[in-house]
Amino acid sequence: MLVVQILLKTGKFILECVLGGCNYEPIPEFQTVTKNTKAIVEQINIDNEESIAVALAQAEKLADLSGEDKAVLAAALSTLFYHDNHGRPGMIKLAGKAEAIIGKLGMDVVPFLISELVNADSESAAHFGRAVARNGKPAVKAVLQAIDANRKEDYAVINLLTALSYFTDSEAISAMPEILVAAKSANHRVRAEALEASAGLAKRLDATLFDEKLRLKMYDIASSALGDQQPIVRHFAVHSIGEMVKKGLLDGELKGKAAKAFSGILGIDGNNNWDNGFIVRHEAEKYVGLFKQAGSAKNKYHQSFRILEKRELCPDTYYFTIEAPLTAAKIQAGQFIIIRPSEFAERIPLSICGWNRDKGTINIIVMAAGRTSREMTNLSVGSCFADVVGPLGTRSHVKKHEGTCVVIGGGYGTGAVIPTARDLAALGNRVIGIVGARNEKLLLMVPELKEVCAEVMLTTNDGSAGIKGFVIHALEEILKRGEKISHVLAVGPVPMMMAVAAMTKPLGIETYVSLNAVMVDGTGMCGSCRVIVGGETKFACFHGPDFDGHKVDFEQLMKRQKMFVAKEKEALAFSEN
Amino acid sequence: MAISTKERMGIPLVHMPLNNPAQRVTNFEEVPIGYTLEQAQTEAKRCLQCKKPACVEGCPVGIDIPGFIALIEEGKPAEAAKKIRETNFLPAECGRVCPQDKQCQAPCVVGKKGDPVYIGGLERFAADWERSHGTYAPPPIPASTGKKVAVVGSGPAGLTAAYELRVRGHEVIVFEAFHRGGGVLVYGIPRFRLPLELIDEDIKLLENIGVQFAYDVIIGNALSLDDLLGKEGFDAVFIGSGAGLPKMLGIPGENSNGVYSANEYLTRIYLMQSMKFPRYSTPLYNGRKVAVIGAGNTGMDVLRTAKRLGSDVTCYYRRTRAEAPARTEELEHAEQEFLHWKWLHNPVEIIADENNFVKQIKCEVMKLSEPDESGRKKPIGTGEFVHDDADTVVFSLGCDVNPIIPTSDKEVRVNKWGIVMVDLATYQTSKKGVFAGGDAVTGGSTVILAMGQAKSAAQSIDKFLKGELNWNAPNVPTDPKAPGVQWSGRFMTAKR
Repeated sequence: MLVVQILLKTGKFILECVLGGCNYEPIPEFQTVTKNTKAIVEQINIDNEESIAVALAQAEKLADLSGEDKAVLAAALSTLFYHDNHGRPGMIKLAGKAEAIIGKLGMDVVPFLISELVNADSESAAHFGRAVARNGKPAVKAVLQAIDANRKEDYAVINLLTALSYFTDSEAISAMPEILVAAKSANHRVRAEALEASAGLAKRLDATLFDEKLRLKMYDIASSALGDQQPIVRHFAVHSIGEMVKKGLLDGELKGKAAKAFSGILGIDGNNNWDNGFIVRHEAEKYVGLFKQAGSAKNKYHQSFRILEKRELCPDTYYFTIEAPLTAAKIQAGQFIIIRPSEFAERIPLSICGWNRDKGTINIIVMAAGRTSREMTNLSVGSCFADVVGPLGTRSHVKKHEGTCVVIGGGYGTGAVIPTARDLAALGNRVIGIVGARNEKLLLMVPELKEVCAEVMLTTNDGSAGIKGFVIHALEEILKRGEKISHVLAVGPVPMMMAVAAMTKPLGIETYVSLNAVMVDGTGMCGSCRVIVGGETKFACFHGPDFDGHKVDFEQLMKRQKMFVAKEKEALAFSEN
Repeated sequence: MAISTKERMGIPLVHMPLNNPAQRVTNFEEVPIGYTLEQAQTEAKRCLQCKKPACVEGCPVGIDIPGFIALIEEGKPAEAAKKIRETNFLPAECGRVCPQDKQCQAPCVVGKKGDPVYIGGLERFAADWERSHGTYAPPPIPASTGKKVAVVGSGPAGLTAAYELRVRGHEVIVFEAFHRGGGVLVYGIPRFRLPLELIDEDIKLLENIGVQFAYDVIIGNALSLDDLLGKEGFDAVFIGSGAGLPKMLGIPGENSNGVYSANEYLTRIYLMQSMKFPRYSTPLYNGRKVAVIGAGNTGMDVLRTAKRLGSDVTCYYRRTRAEAPARTEELEHAEQEFLHWKWLHNPVEIIADENNFVKQIKCEVMKLSEPDESGRKKPIGTGEFVHDDADTVVFSLGCDVNPIIPTSDKEVRVNKWGIVMVDLATYQTSKKGVFAGGDAVTGGSTVILAMGQAKSAAQSIDKFLKGELNWNAPNVPTDPKAPGVQWSGRFMTAKR
């Protein structure tokens, strides 16, 4: 360990030696650096995107590195953080990759990273900060210690605050007091950075970590900073408050106050006293949509779309209960809704997994995949979606069948079959549920489905629960035991629905699938959700979403779903920046 | 100081200044800049102040055109705006998007020898003056009649109906399916033709006089017409749900990636703001070579929008420029903007690459036939085909009526094209207490026509609420092939 520490301190020197092109004599102890590392380091030093990409890919594969290797690698990879990437978007991505690789090197290299961080320019500091933040809990302590050691150096403190803002580990909450002290610094750059760190943590950490007292203190400091003389400080104060609102950390009175402050900044409160800093107004504009629901209801048809319940079903997949009385009053099994989480978001269609007509609530399952769904899962109980429109589409085909009805749910589609299963069972049908997923942990809503089905079968790709294989294997099982199936409903990923339809077609079993096409308005107005069913063009939003699985052109659907893949990545990258 | 008719006739048309084409195709700012007071006064002098003004008969809402033009000539634009407001609630919008060349300006006497008076430009001038000088005075609202009316849709028809009903003292709630008001004015008309502020300000004016708005509510799904007339306690319903169901050609390759309906293309850009992607997260896949099919007003909007997004844009139309249904002004403005035109080209196939993304468009070259009995020249195929590269194709072929309300309530009778059938005199539908106007009853027409119908419908709703309308004999067509309402000057007729 001691050797490593020494190595880190002389990281750059070693690097030069390893590269061979220097005038220093290589120090004998460092000769233990492996060939692999040496090759990677050499390749990184060539200022060429391709060769760097190759080097990074190799570095990613390295395992069981010695202390020397780690030190040399960290020093070499971090040179990418200093590159001037202007006009070279490819390089920015590579630097991001380097962050991840350095992050994986662990705590051994953190002291080195911090020593570079405190002197880095602001762009490079962000890279170093993100690399440090990847180490979680122990790194929080290291950064706090560094702040303590550099208390008189404003420049170092600014960069260390930058690093703090990137933590996602819950331990980072312990840095809040330090951040809030810095927010009152005499140096306006420190104040601005502290407010950004506070915003970063509000954005990245779980809402439950912020207790009432802390929330109040964060808001107080940020709101007093709205009157700061420096526009950059006001900008980050807006950012900080905005992120708190977005996370649902402010409610009731505070949210009202924030709404008032923001409309004042934008001059939309009619007082003609808007903030004269463009960057401040621009920032406020980003968040002002969050307050749409804050005002009192204008008429009885105004719905809040408040989140009343949120729980994690499996990693990145959440169950929400939302207040949407008009939709809840009318929705039927098979219908869907369109949600727009915020002013800037897309409208995305989602199926419903339940509702309560008396309480005026609906339940949905959201898997964080793209930017919009991620934005949804970042919201916490008490915050509101900008818009929830529904019910849309036609209800599922439900009648009394002679034989058994089978409802099949794949992944987060499982929730959607529950209401239809309930309706089928209510008509006296025998209903079997099949739930499929990659592994046991990803099986969702099984207890809820069991409540409405006579029997529930599980399938997992790895065999960790139920039948090993796919949902069609469970379907085969049912057929094998001689049970007559009259009706199948499959909801889930397209390949799953396609496989089910392909299996039931030769058997002549009526099969419906629920199509999740790309949509904008959901009312038939735009035609984005065109699908081919039985050779005819249909609109999934209006004619569907349930269609006869034997007639659907799945290939076309899959291709159309890929239309915006590149754009979605871009959008996600933008929001994560 | 009186000016003689001869002198008036001698004044040349004052062209409204436009932004420079090379510059304007790089942004979404409005193309015409607007008249100055002086320019407007000169243009106003060209009006002959006819005793029997043909222009008024050409206007679907019957604006007192010579009246407001005289006020502009006298240098009283604020009063001119007030005059227009007596009959037209959306002057800023109409001055910009009305097809004046087919309506008020068509019969203009001055136009018989040379250019007609630019009525649209003058209307716009008066409305802009009113807005920028803050001279608008809200109308007096009489004491409440205690009657409640639901307006479905916040497009031009809905907004007009809401205004007309509110100034008669009824309580009005406008239901809108989207998250903001304005309907087609927002999602279908580009910002360089109609800035958003104008629409928002007019909605604000309505809110100020007590009209309520309920967003994110789809009538037919979340609340049925029976709900509205029953448990929700409304006394009447006005349907202004528009023509929201895009038509496609039905040619091979139509579902390839990169093929849009004009509605989808414009909605993504203007309602969901994908022009500001990735800050706004609604994506738009817009290629380098964009093919737009159709040469109507919406076609022009799509062409010019695509150009502003930096694409190389071509218009395909199966007839010639002379038959293009777009407003002359739009067509002229579009022609200034470096677009390509392929008249007499009929798309027959869209060719996609292996990932289903559009690669080429195949067209048949057409020629026009000799005029038939009705005098129309039909495009006929020549058997010659061309393949053009394109990576985005936008269909701009018009719309059918949105089916949500008719499907949810069978009492509202529609014809076989899905158009809501109404009594031509009263705009009653076949369901008691339900009226309709706008694109829902025409199957796709203009802003001003929708407004004219909404206004007439609001007058009959008012009568209905007062018990003055005979309900036993609504004259609603029952023939499924009966046409929708059409404008043929002066009266609403039933031609198709």
